Amino acid sequence: MRFFCRINLVALWLLSIVVSLNGAELPSANLPIEQVIDQFVQQRLDTAKVAPSPQADDANVLRRLMLDVAGRIPTSEEAKTYAANRSAAKRVELVDRLLASPDFFWHQRNELERMLLPNKPNDGEFRKYLLWAVKENRSWDAMFRDMLVGDEADENRQPALTFIKSRARDLDDMLNDTAILFFGVNVTCAKCHDHPLTPDWKQHHYFGMASFFSRTYVTKKNLLAERPFGEVKFKSKRKDDTKGEQTAKFEFLTGAIVEEPVVERSADDIKKIEETIKASMQKDDAPPPEKPAFSPREKLVEVALRAEDNRFFARNIVNRVWDRFFGRGLVHPVDQLHAANAASHPELLDWLTRDMVAHGYDLKRLIRGIVLSQAYSRSSEWTAGSQFPDAALFAVANVKPLTPRQYSLSLLVAVNNPTQWPALDQAEPWTTRREQLENTSNGWAGSFEMPGESFHVAVDEALLFSNNKRIEDEFLRDSGDRLVGHLKSLGDNQAVIEAAVLTICSRPPRGDERAALDDFLQKRSADRLAAIRQLVWVLLTGPEMRFSY
Amino acid sequence: MTLSRRGFLNAAALGTAGTFASDMTRLDLLRQTSWADEVKKQGKRVILLWLAGGASQFETFDPKPGRPTGGPYRAIPTSATGVHISELLPKMAARIQQTTAIIRSLNTKNADHGGGATIMETGRIKDPGIEYPDLGAICAKELGRLDSAVPDYVSMYTSTEGRRKGTSGFLGSRYAPMFLSESMQPENIRRLESISDIDHQDRLALRDLLAKKFTQNRHSDSLGSHTQAYQRVRGLMASEKLFDIEQESTEIRAKYGPTQFAQQCLIARRLVEAGVPFVKVARAWWDSHGENFETHRELCADLDHSMSVLLDDLRDRGLLEHTLILTFGEFGRTPNINASLGRDHFAAAWSATLSGCGVRGGACFGKTDEDGHKVADGEVGAGDLFATIFTALGIDPNKEYHVGARPVPLSDFGAKPIKDVLA
Repeated sequence: MRFFCRINLVALWLLSIVVSLNGAELPSANLPIEQVIDQFVQQRLDTAKVAPSPQADDANVLRRLMLDVAGRIPTSEEAKTYAANRSAAKRVELVDRLLASPDFFWHQRNELERMLLPNKPNDGEFRKYLLWAVKENRSWDAMFRDMLVGDEADENRQPALTFIKSRARDLDDMLNDTAILFFGVNVTCAKCHDHPLTPDWKQHHYFGMASFFSRTYVTKKNLLAERPFGEVKFKSKRKDDTKGEQTAKFEFLTGAIVEEPVVERSADDIKKIEETIKASMQKDDAPPPEKPAFSPREKLVEVALRAEDNRFFARNIVNRVWDRFFGRGLVHPVDQLHAANAASHPELLDWLTRDMVAHGYDLKRLIRGIVLSQAYSRSSEWTAGSQFPDAALFAVANVKPLTPRQYSLSLLVAVNNPTQWPALDQAEPWTTRREQLENTSNGWAGSFEMPGESFHVAVDEALLFSNNKRIEDEFLRDSGDRLVGHLKSLGDNQAVIEAAVLTICSRPPRGDERAALDDFLQKRSADRLAAIRQLVWVLLTGPEMRFSY
Repeated sequence: MTLSRRGFLNAAALGTAGTFASDMTRLDLLRQTSWADEVKKQGKRVILLWLAGGASQFETFDPKPGRPTGGPYRAIPTSATGVHISELLPKMAARIQQTTAIIRSLNTKNADHGGGATIMETGRIKDPGIEYPDLGAICAKELGRLDSAVPDYVSMYTSTEGRRKGTSGFLGSRYAPMFLSESMQPENIRRLESISDIDHQDRLALRDLLAKKFTQNRHSDSLGSHTQAYQRVRGLMASEKLFDIEQESTEIRAKYGPTQFAQQCLIARRLVEAGVPFVKVARAWWDSHGENFETHRELCADLDHSMSVLLDDLRDRGLLEHTLILTFGEFGRTPNINASLGRDHFAAAWSATLSGCGVRGGACFGKTDEDGHKVADGEVGAGDLFATIFTALGIDPNKEYHVGARPVPLSDFGAKPIKDVLA
């Protein structure tokens, strides 16, 4: 018989969350997400006496939405259509159209891939799984189960196991990445000692997590397997330690402990099992080992998702989605969900977490709510004379560096002849086109650095754009399928400037910009084509293209 | 002011340290003797001669002549009283007292190429929760200038063996190496013929003008770094000639000689002379599982000659006291000689050297046992070596970076500089 017991380790802050989650103090669960976001963000702004930056203009909102939801900039046609749309509900319509579009599927796949498998980009099978899951709108808890427990026999879900398999060689990788990515906690420090900064994380937490993964291995045939026995031992490195060597329990971060049923095995049995395992790791033709009755990884998923222990799992995904769209988590950094690092908007995080659980971990639902909020669509310019506000207030939109994929796709959209896109209402050709863009972007994405915390653009990137022949051949070519080819067919400079700025920056040119570009073209009238190329280069290499703003 | 707040602070903090090579026109001064005086006032430089694959301590700096593990080569006296090194390094033997300290008691514990290289590149073992920057990136950050017109970390590696680019880890790609893998010239540093120099310059200027408008009211470190990256383009392009040894006199080129390693050492000298804070030159094929002694005869001759010429050249230009030259790879080689007359991977007792800046020439720290199986005296790890390197450069090894809330000291927790080898 197996049973769960709870030990009295749960810190007060965790209890307080449970109370507020169950209590009546949070706003109604039936309110629209965007309304609750704006209510709480505004409350804190009021307390801090900060007036937020105004809402961004339509062109800016469209561009930000497209990059965040579709993973690319709008085409000039999309920009024009949105600008001309006078409907009060046009943003909602746009968001709903995008969330149902192939663009979203691919982008969501790309985003999940970079989060879950950052060190193994372009793993074909894993990407296939993610695309399938996104198209199904598979819930986040189901995806978690697919990745950690999975099913080697299920064609669609099987590749999800790459998450664990690609880390199975190293226990630390399995447990740290799982803890960081699914629970928002980084217990690395606690491997050698109780966490120095965070009273929440003790050594036994680290080794408790380790015990859920310590039996996991991959067979020669690349099947995920678990040993039926095996313990994790640890010793404190503190000099004053008196406990000596301890055996880790199957202990989750909340303090919940899973008891393993006692199985009596003879020395002979153990030897036989060890031999089967050894053979499966060494030989291709060895039969796959029998699945043990007690699977620690299965137990981990079970505990992490059940109502009384799901706060890490649920809060983490809310915080990570928020971070992706706002450029900063409600808890920041996103791997530091613990008492010493409070959320900027604790009630909002609680409300969103409750909503996430209540609606079956539907990521699309949260994304929709976020991008419809006023907090999301503020201008990224801070023109008030006052000091730049605390980032935790979300008073002004963050400027976010594009991922290599977003940047590559956007460059490819920008340099395409703007008159040659399939019409927006033609779903099928657009799907094909997007898939082509994805494939073409593979070659470029590797040229750019994945942004992390405190990301700096490398000078290599500026040198690449300045002097590499591929940039000239592929982005500045004057053939009919390219922007430069289209621009050179236009009569006057003003038309060139308008088309170029609209296509690359998704907006009409500003006065001073128009003058500067016009001056540039006029001075080079002797070689108009070269001048147009340089003009396109100038806009392509600008910060407006490199960042989501 | 388009610099980010932090960028601005860094620049301000660096203000006293350097007005070095702030524009490339000053490179024209390179041939004037006053340039060396200019360098003296400035920050320190590092050249890492990375012995990829793992050089044998027995055939280099810790010979055991006459022992079963010693191999066929003799030990020869050096200019430092009582210090003997392998006869394969006669030119270095004559320079030990003047330039070089030897550490013979490294125990770095990992004899796997990848793991060992990570330890010797970053000074600590891999930690899954964090991407550590390597020595080059740390030096680039600590010794370089934010708006430097020259690259601040150049890594040369034209061989295929275990090619490693180096990593700036959590310091970010601003400090990533300029990596030369295909040729002696960096990629994308030369203007395409299809665009004129004027156009190249003008379009950058227009780009900068429009970018200013965009960045004016937006606050972001990343945004600032984008502006800076493009602002550095022309300067870096002008540094193209730093990579061209044809710029050197025939006399100097003859001194360095024809091997690729020696030529890369010459480029390294040109780079540090122009203010590049960190240059890594990797010399491959030390991984002598078979025919260790033949291999080392050939490779040591190259190392001995190139390193000696490099030290002399730096000394002659007054650069040696500001430039720290390091030799090590991912590990050393086994005492036991295998059936193919090779030596295998060995991290338990091996050697590294430091020469030049901040180093006590002729110092020989630590001892291995009679047959070189274990460290007998003064055992040190990679962290201690790194603390020593930082101290020699005038960088506080206990200085901390913050990754999120986590403090990360420059050299690993508990690491201590080896005082005996420091000037």
